[in-house]
Amino acid sequence: MHSNLEKPDKKLGPSVVDVQLNQKQIKKKKLSERSAGYLLIFPSMLLILVVAIWPVLQSFYLSLFDLKLNDPTKSTVHLNYSFDLERYLNSAPFLISSIDQEIQSGHHVDELTKVKTQINQFDAVLQKDPDIKKSYQTVNDKLMDFKSISDDEALIPIDKKLSEQYQNMTHQVQQELKDVTKKAKLEQEDKISGLANGLNDALIKSNFVGLQHYKENLSSPRTWLAIWNTLFFTVVSVAFELVIGLAIALLINKAFFGRGLIRASILIPWAIPTAVSALMWKFLYDGQNGIVAYLFEKVGLVDKMSDLLTTNTGAMFSVIFTDVWKTTPYMALLLLAGLLTIPSSLYEAAAIDGANKWQQFIKITLPLLKSSLLVALLFRTLDAFRVFDLIFVLTGGGPANSTETISILAYKVMFSQTNFGNGSSLSVIVFVCVAIISIIYIKLLGADLIQDSNKK
Amino acid sequence: MHKKTGPLFYVFLFVFVFVVMFPFLWMLITSIKPLTELFGDKAFTPYTSHPTLENYVSVFTKHPFLHYQWNSLVVASITTIYTVFVASFAAYAIARLKFKGKTIILGTVLAVSMFPQIATISPIYMFLKNAGLTNSYLGLIIPYTTFSLPLSIWLLVSFFRKIPFDLEEAAKIDGASMWQTYWKVILPLAGPGIFTTSILVFIGAWNEFLFSLTINTADKFKTVPVGIAMFQGQYTIPWGEISAATVVVTVPLVILVLIFQRRIVSGLTSGSVKE
Repeated sequence: MHSNLEKPDKKLGPSVVDVQLNQKQIKKKKLSERSAGYLLIFPSMLLILVVAIWPVLQSFYLSLFDLKLNDPTKSTVHLNYSFDLERYLNSAPFLISSIDQEIQSGHHVDELTKVKTQINQFDAVLQKDPDIKKSYQTVNDKLMDFKSISDDEALIPIDKKLSEQYQNMTHQVQQELKDVTKKAKLEQEDKISGLANGLNDALIKSNFVGLQHYKENLSSPRTWLAIWNTLFFTVVSVAFELVIGLAIALLINKAFFGRGLIRASILIPWAIPTAVSALMWKFLYDGQNGIVAYLFEKVGLVDKMSDLLTTNTGAMFSVIFTDVWKTTPYMALLLLAGLLTIPSSLYEAAAIDGANKWQQFIKITLPLLKSSLLVALLFRTLDAFRVFDLIFVLTGGGPANSTETISILAYKVMFSQTNFGNGSSLSVIVFVCVAIISIIYIKLLGADLIQDSNKK
Repeated sequence: MHKKTGPLFYVFLFVFVFVVMFPFLWMLITSIKPLTELFGDKAFTPYTSHPTLENYVSVFTKHPFLHYQWNSLVVASITTIYTVFVASFAAYAIARLKFKGKTIILGTVLAVSMFPQIATISPIYMFLKNAGLTNSYLGLIIPYTTFSLPLSIWLLVSFFRKIPFDLEEAAKIDGASMWQTYWKVILPLAGPGIFTTSILVFIGAWNEFLFSLTINTADKFKTVPVGIAMFQGQYTIPWGEISAATVVVTVPLVILVLIFQRRIVSGLTSGSVKE
C-alpha cells in the first residue's frame, strides 16, 4: 500500500487525496463510535454516581458528625457555629419583660438590673452586624405576626468570638438568677429560670466530631461482637454451602429424568423473599409448635425444643441452617454451570490413562472449575457478609445480641436510636470490610471477571 | 453425560427435593389447619381432618395484604422497566462499541453491585426525608436503582456479547446507521436476554427488604416482604395467617419460576461462567 501511495497514479490506483479522505472517514467513524459509546453509557454512569457512589461518600462524611435525627439542634450537619434567631427571640425579650415586672415589684432591683443590662448589651452586640440585624428584624416581624419561620431564615452563621460571648452571657445570667432566687422568692421564679435556660438552645454548636465515632465503635465490645458474629456467620454458612453445593452439582451433572423438576426446586428457595423464608423458618423453629425444632429434639440435636431460638448457639445455628437451606441450591446451580463447560473428553482421556474418580476430581474438575468457584464464592461471601433481612426477621439479632451482625447493629443505631452519625460510621465499617473481601477475591481471580471477552 | 443413573440416585433426588420443598409444604398444611390444631400435639401432624380457608380470608380482610402486593408490583415493575431501559444503552456500548475505559466502567459497575445497602442508607434516607419522598413509590424506586442498574448492565453486557458480530457488520455494510443497527438488529436478537434480565431485576426489587423497611413505614406504602414481616405482633404471632400469606406470596413465584426456569438459570449463571 505504501509504495502505491508514494507513486500516485490517478488512473491506476487511489489517489493520495482519496486515501487521505478515506482515512479521515475511518477516523471520523472511529471518533463517532467513541463519542456514541460515551453518550450511551452516560445516563447509566450518572445514575450510578448519584444513587450509589455519592451516598457512600456521603455516609463517610455523615459519620464524622454527631447527627441525631430526634434532636433538633443535631438533625443536620453543622460544620460551623450558628445562631437560631427564632429560639433566641422566643426567650430573650420575654425574659427581659419578666425581669422588668420583678423590678417594678421591687424585688432585688440591683441584681436584676445588672442581669437585664447584660442581656441588652449582648443584644446590642448581636445587632451591630448589619447582616444579622436584617435577619433579626425579619424573624422578629414574623414572630410578631405569628408566621412560620423556615430554618434558612432563623439560622445565621456566627463566629467563634460571638458564640463564646453568648455562652458567657447566658452562663452569667443563669448563675446570677440562681443566686437571686436563693436569697428570696421571686413572683415568676419558674418562668424566669425556664426562659433563662431556653437561651442555651439558641446557640447551635458545630456537631463535627471527627473520627470519634470510629474510636468509640472500635473500642466497644458490642461492635466487636457484631463483627465476630458477621464473620462467623459468613465463613461457616459459605463453607457449608460450598461443600454441599459442590457435592450436589457433581451428583446432578449428568443426564437424568426430571432435570426440570430439580432445577425448579433449586430456584424456588432463591426466588422467595428472604424475609418470607425467615418468617417461615421462625415458625418451623418455634419452641412450642415448630416441627423442625420438634424433629431436632427427637434426633437429639438439641436438648429442648425451645433451645433453638432462645440460646446463643441455638440461634446462630438456626440462622446459619436457614441460610444454607436458602442458598445451597443456588450455589449448586452456579457450580453446575461451571461443570458443564468442562469437556467430557478430558475425563475419558483420564479414564483411559487409569486415573480414578478422585484423581479426576483433583486434577481436572477442581482446576477447571476454579474461576466459576471463585466467582460463586465471591458473590456468596459478600451476600452473607451484608446479611440483614434473614436475621432481622428470624431473631432480630438476639438473644443477647448473639446473632447481631454489623448491618443489624448499624440499622438499630440509625433507626431505633436515631443516631445517624454513629450508625453511618458502622455502615462505613461494613463497606470497608466488603471492599477488602472483594479485593482479596479479585486478586485471586485476576482480571478474569471483567475481561472484555471480545478481545479473545 | 455417560454416567449411569441408578435407583440410589433417584432416592437422593427425592430426598433433595423433599428437604428443599419441606418448609413450603409444611406452610401449606399449616395454612389450612384450624386455629386449634396450630398448637399442642396437633401442631406436629402432617395432615388435618378439618381443613379450612379461614386463614386465607383473614389475611385479606384483617391486613391490607392485597395493597402490599399492589405496592410491590408497582415499585418492582417501574424499577425494572426504567433500569433495564437505561442499562440497555450502556450495555450495548460496552459490549459492542470501541472506546477507551470500558474495563474501568465495567469494574465500577461490578463494584457498585457489591455495595452493601446499609452503606448507602443513611444519606439516601435523609435525602428522601428532606425531599418528602418517604412513604411514596418514588421513595423506593430511587434507592432500588442502586442494585438494579448495575445488575441490569452486568447481565445485558454478557447477553449482548453473545450476539454474532457478523449480523451487525452486514447491517453496517448495507448502510444502516448505528441507531438502526441497534433497533433493527441488536434489540430483536437481544430480546430473550433483555427478558431474562427483567425477570431477575423484578425478583430482586420484589424481594428487597431494608430500603422498604426504613423508607416506607406507612401501611399504605409497605411492600410484601415488609408487610408480612410486620404481621408478627409484639406478644403473639398469628402463625395461621402468616402461613396463609406465605403460600399466597409463594405460589405466583413458583409459577413464574416453573415457566421461566431456563431463562432464570441462564441469567444467574451468565457472567459467572466463561464460555
